[in-house]
Amino acid sequence: MPQMNLAEALIDGLIWSLRADPRATIIGRGIAGHGPEHAAEDRLKQEFGSRIIDPPTSEAAVAQLGTGAAMAGARPFVHYGTAVFAYEAWNQFINEAANIHYMSNGQLSAPVTFHLFHGIRGGGGPQHSGSPYAMYANNPGLEIVLPTSPRDAKGLMRSAMASNNPTIVIQNAQLLGLTEDVPAEDYSIPFGKAVVKRDGRDVSVIACSRSVIDALEAADILEKEGLSVEVVDIRTLAPLDVDTIVASVEKTGRMVAVDETYEICGVASELIASVVTRAFSALKTQPVRVGRPMTPVPFSPPLEAAVNPGTQKIVDACRRACKR
Amino acid sequence: MAKPSHAERLELFRRMLHMRRFEEMVIRLAQAYEYTGRQHLHIGHEATGAAVAMAMRAGDKIHTTHRNHGYVIACGADPGRAFAEIMGRRDGLNGGKGGSWHLCDAERGFQSTSAMVGGSIALAAGAAFALKLAGSGNISFAHFGDGTLDEGVAYESLNIASIYELPVLFVCENNSKAGQRPSSMLAAARLQDVPAALQIHCELVDGADSDAAQIAFQKAADRVRETGKPVFIEATLERWPGSHQVKAAFPTGVTDLSLALNLDKVEGKHADWIKQSDPILRATRALIKDGVSDLVGLLEMDAKVNLLMEDARSFAEASPFPDASVAFTGVFAS
Ligand SMILES: Cc1ncc(C[n+]2csc(CCOP(=O)(O)OP(=O)(O)O)c2C)c(N)n1
Ligand SMILES: [Mg+2]
Repeated sequence: MPQMNLAEALIDGLIWSLRADPRATIIGRGIAGHGPEHAAEDRLKQEFGSRIIDPPTSEAAVAQLGTGAAMAGARPFVHYGTAVFAYEAWNQFINEAANIHYMSNGQLSAPVTFHLFHGIRGGGGPQHSGSPYAMYANNPGLEIVLPTSPRDAKGLMRSAMASNNPTIVIQNAQLLGLTEDVPAEDYSIPFGKAVVKRDGRDVSVIACSRSVIDALEAADILEKEGLSVEVVDIRTLAPLDVDTIVASVEKTGRMVAVDETYEICGVASELIASVVTRAFSALKTQPVRVGRPMTPVPFSPPLEAAVNPGTQKIVDACRRACKR
Repeated sequence: MAKPSHAERLELFRRMLHMRRFEEMVIRLAQAYEYTGRQHLHIGHEATGAAVAMAMRAGDKIHTTHRNHGYVIACGADPGRAFAEIMGRRDGLNGGKGGSWHLCDAERGFQSTSAMVGGSIALAAGAAFALKLAGSGNISFAHFGDGTLDEGVAYESLNIASIYELPVLFVCENNSKAGQRPSSMLAAARLQDVPAALQIHCELVDGADSDAAQIAFQKAADRVRETGKPVFIEATLERWPGSHQVKAAFPTGVTDLSLALNLDKVEGKHADWIKQSDPILRATRALIKDGVSDLVGLLEMDAKVNLLMEDARSFAEASPFPDASVAFTGVFAS
């Protein structure tokens, strides 16, 4: 099995998608980011150069170009680079792409994939550190995919491109270098299937995107204190696999929900609500929420660290949930 | 408008030197500290930035893009506090919360840096709206790159400024050219065709020619003040080879004014930029040729600016990082 980093795996998933479907087309450049992994994009350009366009800095129009093309039979993949640039395309994501299937009473659909890099990245400051997926999830009609490993990235990208719905693949750019063995052949990973990344007895950490990696690190630290932490990666926020989450909390009896979006109306809040409303009696202690506090992301390194829901905050939250 | 006096030309040059030596120090600081964040340096754009700043009066407002450092300095902000901000230190212009991309100094009318392409043009139209309402006779300045015209909001803002007769000077720094990956892709043959179609008066200027820029921006600002209507200036610029610094470096070397009179000595990959496009060397030659100063006089001025930047650096280095608790303050106005 070949080794791939996450950027290479995303590109591999895209390449299989373009091979499988002549309607698939790419709008955007820098799909593997602008960091050390950027060269992963070269393979895509070599094989499918004629199916790629590099658009002007016109995020709103480009979203609509992709959506309109999808409604008319194409399968566009639209890349945005830093997720905040897609704020310019808010109406196009939410009001057009997400609604069209419903409001046309099923006559039309918008099979477009939007690809974004989100998150606190070191020095991004207030305007370049946004993680908009909780805001996207607050709307019906969008599928939201958050890969955290190369294998998942490839298989989930394949499903995104095959999906008949508008799908947002939103990737924490800090994870692009993660490397593991990835099957060389074509495969898909279905949406709505969370995965238990680490088995544990005492507390369930339910997480997504970057926070999964932080949670695994926290679990290592806590193991040395004799605390056994289970880590669940939801993988897709919409659809959300509540069954797997509830099963984990029923097993451990304790819950920490952690995610990089804002605490208020954020992903962690929704994860807790989904458990409390379905399996309240499974909880032996109050669930703990870890998210971004309600402050813009400041530039200065110590200030940025203070708002980042990283490993240490997850460690503290697990101790609290376990009353340690 | 009368030709700028010798004193005005020297003042423009002094500001240009501040801008250049500031950016060079930013490169040195980045090499020394490996701090996070990206730098979009304003090197090569100094004649335009300084001419704009000199056309500003007390009470005027300016909004810029990510390529902001030069404007902040040209507007007279403290370079020590600007370095401190870029380094994320407590005494930075924004207390460390903004960084390079969001420097601002409201006291000097420097309203904000938006790092979103299309941000500054619309905000400056808003500033002009407020200034018009206030009736103070002040005007606003919108600084943006050619890339801004890719965004729909640019068209919308130009249109709004035209229909409501907003007193705003649109300053478009066009550093895009065929052959490089352009920073904009506009189907119109000239950037100006867009504002011109919206009935906005347009001017074109060589943005690296300090004399031409000084005259053009002063005239344009006067026109905005007199008519109360917007003006659009496109300043053409040759992109500086280090304009997108991934790794801090001096691709065209540290600026040496005496090269202005020794252009045949210039060699290397970027010789063309140094010989033809460096506004500092062009201005040095023009000032000497017109008898405004001699090389010794300009070198003396330069030495003073360098000392000032050394002091500013020391100030920034001595400034501590802010306390982490500061992260949670100031989300709302009181
Ligand atoms: C809304 C938005 N989209 C994309 C970007 C990424 N971006 C940063 S600088 C830049 C190019 C800007 O070109 P231009 O305005 O001409 O300025 P230059 O850097 O050439 O001076 C782009 C596309 C951004 N900052 N904001
Ligand atoms: Mg440009």
